[in-house]
Amino acid sequence: MANAVTPASTASPTGLVRRSLDLIPGLLLLAAVGYAGKVIEQSIAVYTKSHHVTFPNIEYVLWAIVIGLIIANTTGVPRVFEAGVATYEFWLKAGIVLLGSRFLLGDVLHLGGISLLLVAVALTLSLTFMHLLGRAFKLKPKLTSLLAVGSSICGVSAIIAAKPAIDADDEDASYAIAAILALGAISLFTFPLIGHSLHLSDKAYGLWAGLAVDNTAEATAAGALYSDAAGKVAVLAKTSRNALIGFIVLAYAMYWASRGEAQAVGNKAAFLWRKFPKFVLGFLLISLLATIGFFTKPQLTSLANLSRWAFLLTFAGVGLRTSLRELGKQGWKPFAVGAIGEVFIALLTLGLVYGADRYLHL
Amino acid sequence: MSKTNTTASQRGISLDVYAVALALVLALLVRFNLIPPVKW
Repeated sequence: MANAVTPASTASPTGLVRRSLDLIPGLLLLAAVGYAGKVIEQSIAVYTKSHHVTFPNIEYVLWAIVIGLIIANTTGVPRVFEAGVATYEFWLKAGIVLLGSRFLLGDVLHLGGISLLLVAVALTLSLTFMHLLGRAFKLKPKLTSLLAVGSSICGVSAIIAAKPAIDADDEDASYAIAAILALGAISLFTFPLIGHSLHLSDKAYGLWAGLAVDNTAEATAAGALYSDAAGKVAVLAKTSRNALIGFIVLAYAMYWASRGEAQAVGNKAAFLWRKFPKFVLGFLLISLLATIGFFTKPQLTSLANLSRWAFLLTFAGVGLRTSLRELGKQGWKPFAVGAIGEVFIALLTLGLVYGADRYLHL
Repeated sequence: MSKTNTTASQRGISLDVYAVALALVLALLVRFNLIPPVKW
């Protein structure tokens, strides 16, 4: 993250070339780790089939994440790879836009509408719960705000968006980010297990993962770990949730400004547009083009495959950027508040998804 | 950390735009058969 592309560093052509060259080693590492995951999945499938062994199919997603985790937490990711590895979020967003080709706009509006409805209910309850929890644990109010935004809306992106808006401390932001990342990594392994044990349908599970898992990368991975169809729904639900970042951050900014502890928000429409995740518009545009028949069937297959390749780089990045050592250095209180909040949100959204499955016919 | 977060925030916006642009370019390349079919 520290190797962010800044306007200043890309201003001159030589700066741009140098930045691009800096990305190559990390990009190659992402590709190698992701592809290794794919090869392992395929090799196991071929071996078990030829030897008539019954073995559950473990998706490349898990292998890529595990390989990344092993590298990040043993040898560590050398500095030369860091800039390229940090691009995993870029591939995630490009992959989500391309995934729009697999949705008819009607499905997007139907499932997205249900997601927004559930998100609104879950948000209200989870934000209230997180604030009560923060108060019970005597956390600083702004740290609680960051944890509430991170766990209810959109993980790290929401914390980064909210931090300057509410003038929160750097330390609070890094605590909240560490807690959200740790919890995201845990949910990757627990959500599919819970989903299978409850025999959730692909749609119900995908909706649950999209509503409950914080970071977009982890929500996408948690969905894809269950099934391809669940992965699609998880991305759609998470994208609906992301679309609300601006409104929540604006509400917090206005709250803290009213208490004289943050700058007042001038133009609210401009604020909302600045915080709005633009890839949501790209996703809708590609979905619209697919719906009106702009692409042939083989072309839609190609776009879906391009999306898969982009996600392969993303999943490798999820493992490579998760440092268990760094997470261990954070205090236990923010983590405890985040963890209790996450369990609450997971149970709440599970209940909502059950209700929606029954009454709104997913 | 402060500087990091500010730049990450700025990048968050431009990153989205670049990601959308790349995806749209790829979609057009596929649509007009300018790249071979992509396999998985």
